Amino acid sequence: MTGGLLLMKSLVEKDLKVRYKRSFLGFLWFLLKPLFSMVVYTIVFTRIIKFGGAIEHFSLFLLTGLLPWNFFAASLSASTKILLENQKLIRSIYFPRVALPISSVIANAIHMLMAMGVLEILLIAFGHTPNLSIVTLPIAVILLAAMTSGFSMMISIGNVYYRDVSQFLEVILLAWFYASPVIYPLGTGIISGKMEAVIKFNPVAGAMEIFHSTMYYGTWPELWAWISLVAWTIVILTAGLLIFKRMEPSVVKEL
Amino acid sequence: MQKGLIQFSDVCLDYRLYRDRSVSIMETFMNVFGRKTSRDWFRALDHASFQISPGESVALVGSNGAGKSTTLKLLAGIYSPTSGKVGTSGRIASLLDLGVGFHPELTGAENIFLNGALLGFDQKRMLELLPGIAEFSMLERFMDTPVKYYSSGMFMRLGFALATSVDPDILLIDEVLAVGDAAFQAKCYDRIFGFRESGKTIVFVSHDPEAVRRLCTRAIWLDSGRVRMNGPVDDVLGAYLNASAGRLQNTAASAAPREWGNREVFFSRVTLTDGNGVPTRTFRQGDTVKVNALIETREGREVKNIILGFSIHRPDGETVLASNNLENGEPLLEINGSGEGYIYITPEIIEPGNYLLSISLTGNSTDYHWQDNFYPISLLGKKQMPPLRINSLRVAGSVDKEPV
Repeated sequence: MTGGLLLMKSLVEKDLKVRYKRSFLGFLWFLLKPLFSMVVYTIVFTRIIKFGGAIEHFSLFLLTGLLPWNFFAASLSASTKILLENQKLIRSIYFPRVALPISSVIANAIHMLMAMGVLEILLIAFGHTPNLSIVTLPIAVILLAAMTSGFSMMISIGNVYYRDVSQFLEVILLAWFYASPVIYPLGTGIISGKMEAVIKFNPVAGAMEIFHSTMYYGTWPELWAWISLVAWTIVILTAGLLIFKRMEPSVVKEL
Repeated sequence: MQKGLIQFSDVCLDYRLYRDRSVSIMETFMNVFGRKTSRDWFRALDHASFQISPGESVALVGSNGAGKSTTLKLLAGIYSPTSGKVGTSGRIASLLDLGVGFHPELTGAENIFLNGALLGFDQKRMLELLPGIAEFSMLERFMDTPVKYYSSGMFMRLGFALATSVDPDILLIDEVLAVGDAAFQAKCYDRIFGFRESGKTIVFVSHDPEAVRRLCTRAIWLDSGRVRMNGPVDDVLGAYLNASAGRLQNTAASAAPREWGNREVFFSRVTLTDGNGVPTRTFRQGDTVKVNALIETREGREVKNIILGFSIHRPDGETVLASNNLENGEPLLEINGSGEGYIYITPEIIEPGNYLLSISLTGNSTDYHWQDNFYPISLLGKKQMPPLRINSLRVAGSVDKEPV
């Protein structure tokens, strides 16, 4: 195993081992958080604003979107701290520092995958049997994780220079959440056609669409979703790697 | 390149200076619109060049801020030079800060694997090294204990054992090497000398001339980021110590005697004697330094809960020993008009040399009277092994108060 992979593996293991120390429910929290938000959104959108009623098993639909979204949002939030938390380490020994944001994203992705396994069982139990398209889902997970890593690299660097980044990110993520097809479906007329066109340019829209199609609807996702996901992943990951590499020497001194 | 070779050619390294480190976007906007640009640069290394051959033991000497630690960080690959070239070959072990990669929640063994990965070793290799690390650090029984339950000494021991277990070609040692008790220090010393004997390259940063002399054959004197002198250890060290002694007398910036406080309680007369009560400023190793202070209060008032403290500094200002009656769990002073306070210090393993003694009277968040670096003292005695004891002085000192 090459050094980089080995390092990544060890950091992911550490992350998984350490995260739920002294936590009674441990890993379950990764499932419980989306479950709680699911309950809230279900009540809001079926009892208060009545649009969710049009979708069968709306809570399962919500959960299908909330799992990848929570992975995405949690990874981005965590990345603001990742360099600052490890500053002593960074300033004391040399290692490829890009492993820090990447391994944190991978640890989150592993949680997401486990939660998705539980969700898939629920979906099948309620009659949402997947078709063959489910085999493409791992590819979407990998691409989403790669894109998330790209964002994490940029944010982790940015937050070293400007602590405003972490504050700003909270606001952005709130807006981003509603601008992504997480809690509403596309192509069903709930959102106007013009809005949909705009929303499809959202970097995470493709991934959300693929999750909903393959897991909830059991259909093949539309082509635009794959094009969007692949294109955005290439752009964001490349940008993230370039920025990280370019800024790394100054960041080490800045910490 | 031959393993163990170090080439440092025309290296500059700049730091950005901030008045306040947390810059906000607002400030950047201000700067964009032509307000004060806070772009101050500090040049830590200024066209420094030197070469170290495989198997050499070289010391970096110089005052604080001369660029010694920066040089080590460049060699370790932590920093990249602003300009110039840093070349090293072979595996580098850096003893810059021990145990930093340790996660408190993980056990000793888990931390060894994680750190091994950071250094580029796989689990299999670390599994081979594990028994050796556990044995050297004397922590066999604690390998499955989370390191947060380790004492700071255990933590450091594990850090040292791990960092030196990896069979380096180049060993970088910063003086922040506070490694446990005397017995363990002797082991560390043996290991480092073992590295030297087996032809590893060693770069050593220390303020302790004796440690430098013992370990190194050559020294490089850094001054404001430049190489001021590079040659045999005795020559360089002599020149450096002369220059800093001269500077101490001239400017005496770091260790100038200072006196301050509100003087509600104050030292009105202080005498230093040896254990037998004979006034002196020169003490043998094992002697007791006895400070007899006549303490008075302003207008003869009664002041309670007075903390009587002392500290001993090296000529460069570094504190080697400090304590007070509160810390030692002894009763606080109570002075009504005037009284006497005594401090007994038995500096058992301070390196022989010249020191400055400071004494203080303080209360709960008030400074009554400080006499900083006020009393020069000399400690005599033979130099001891091991040399790598630098910051890890475990000193038996005591502060006693005799009844007033």
